[in-house]
Amino acid sequence: MNYYVETILVYAGVDIIACLALNLQFGVSGIVNFSFIVFQAAGAYTAAVLSMPPDTASGMSFQHYVLGLQLPFPIPWLGGALVGGLLAIPVGVLLLRRLRSDYQAIALLVLSVIVNTVITNYRPLFNGAAGLSVIPPPLSERIDPYTATYQYLYVGITFVCCLLVLFVANRIVNSPYGRTLRAMREHELAASALGKNLVALKMTVFVVGGIIAGLSGAILVGFISYWAPITWLYPETIVLFAAIIVGGRGNNLGAILGGLLVPLGFEEITRFIPTGFGPPGLGPAIQWVAIGLLIIGFLWFRPKGVLPEPRRVFNEAGIEESPFMEVRAS
Amino acid sequence: MDLYIAAFGFGLVSLSVIAIAAVGFTMQFGITNVINLAYSSVMISSVYVAYAFNHAGVSIWLALIAGAIFGAVFSFLLNRVLYTPFQRKGTSLLGMVIVSLATSLMIQNVLLAIAGPYNVSYVQPSGGTIRLGAIVLTVVQVLVIGIAVVLMLAIHALLTFTRLGKAMRATAANPTLARNCGIPTGRVIDVVWLITGALCGIAGVVAGMNSDTFAVGNGPGYLITIIAAAVLGGAGQPYGAMLGAVLIGEMTELSAAAISADYKEVVAFAVLVLVMVLRPQGLLAKRGALAAAG
Repeated sequence: MNYYVETILVYAGVDIIACLALNLQFGVSGIVNFSFIVFQAAGAYTAAVLSMPPDTASGMSFQHYVLGLQLPFPIPWLGGALVGGLLAIPVGVLLLRRLRSDYQAIALLVLSVIVNTVITNYRPLFNGAAGLSVIPPPLSERIDPYTATYQYLYVGITFVCCLLVLFVANRIVNSPYGRTLRAMREHELAASALGKNLVALKMTVFVVGGIIAGLSGAILVGFISYWAPITWLYPETIVLFAAIIVGGRGNNLGAILGGLLVPLGFEEITRFIPTGFGPPGLGPAIQWVAIGLLIIGFLWFRPKGVLPEPRRVFNEAGIEESPFMEVRAS
Repeated sequence: MDLYIAAFGFGLVSLSVIAIAAVGFTMQFGITNVINLAYSSVMISSVYVAYAFNHAGVSIWLALIAGAIFGAVFSFLLNRVLYTPFQRKGTSLLGMVIVSLATSLMIQNVLLAIAGPYNVSYVQPSGGTIRLGAIVLTVVQVLVIGIAVVLMLAIHALLTFTRLGKAMRATAANPTLARNCGIPTGRVIDVVWLITGALCGIAGVVAGMNSDTFAVGNGPGYLITIIAAAVLGGAGQPYGAMLGAVLIGEMTELSAAAISADYKEVVAFAVLVLVMVLRPQGLLAKRGALAAAG
């Protein structure tokens, strides 16, 4: 039972980190990154192959993968984050420069499907469809991963990472740079007319999001010790989108709330739906229909989400706020 | 060399399937301004409706008609119940993309629960084969090519010679102006969804007839080739989609002969990225609402 609680806490942390990253891209900047999960997967694969022994080592001969460097703890996670960010550069350069935003979304969606297909079919890189297993948990050479202490430690590290990412995300959102990102989201043409470099803005937020996504993948893979193409199919990105739409686009607290409610809430609640009636695929079907209905329902009834983005109101420039002055509403 | 000629023959069949599907997809975007990512889900649903009829003892040709009717009605309802209300509400293009993707997931998973994850196939007469040099095709495959040719000619005739087709083009170019000229754009759009839905259903069933087996999981794969063909030709333009289908169909089959059939969709994707980077407006660029803004 205890293990269950710790698993949930780690999943919650990973989902929150992922939602914060996607919120920076989708909520704050308006980039509909339908291939978000690919960056998470890149981080997970990197962290895995950096921490695993070479595939020629005894007990690993059933799988094939590159690297296998057996590096100590923080390096695989940092590597995962780094690769997530590096991967964002070519993708961004190719897809974010000239395209209209709806084309970008579609291109990213197609990219997500394609990368998964390639990794599934190409075995030498990350063991193809079977995926990587027996990935050593971080610090396992010092602390036995099957003890409660280790579990608490992992939850603690995840929590620290969450705080770190939240700090970074808050700094970005509240900075002049964040304001520029919101300007771009609201009206690209107006932002570029004011001399803002749209490509540079999109690229930086894409790379930052990629780094955080890579980190979230690294944390997840260290905990579950397994990573395969089936765990990062494109619909997983849609779950995160649902989380942000439900929580509140553009609001970091909303992203956290969404991360707790949607990816986590749904998987845990549907676990308690009695099985044994109806066709075997009924459970997942209900789950996905619920996710779809959440997205459509919220976009229809409450497009701003549960915790709407705070309206940032400025009074006249350079004048101290006084109780006699009316704050402009628009 | 014979291998490539044979692959060219298979390419003729797959480009026919892609053409039917891509023309429907691109007309939805061009005329109603919805990028319908649920298109492939409707397509695979039609495949299974035809499958249900086919396995109840109905001939595959009647099942094809059933699939077409299902695709038409389903697409029509999708637009009436979901897309039109959201558009009226002023949802942005991006919002519509998210809505249609969510819808696609729902349809696909409900279908998965009903039909199961198994690979299945149609019961159809094996016919025989027709040889033309190194090209060897089954009678069914030749008929699929025939269906595609007939449908493309029909679409061309519809858009060029009929009042309805002119009304469609007017709606695509400028809906407000079309309405002011007395064109009932609402009804035109309804008809567009019926026609494109039927194309979607037919494309699905002929895709099923052309492949040895199919499964619910094939949906996203269809979508990639359809999007690639539509964007290559210029999104929203039926003739562009036909041209795109010819190129994508042949390229994927020839690459399958050269590399491996596993990477067919990757080739389609590579073409898609190249087009998006080099010529985002597509090969047949035109000004007006039908053309995507570059």
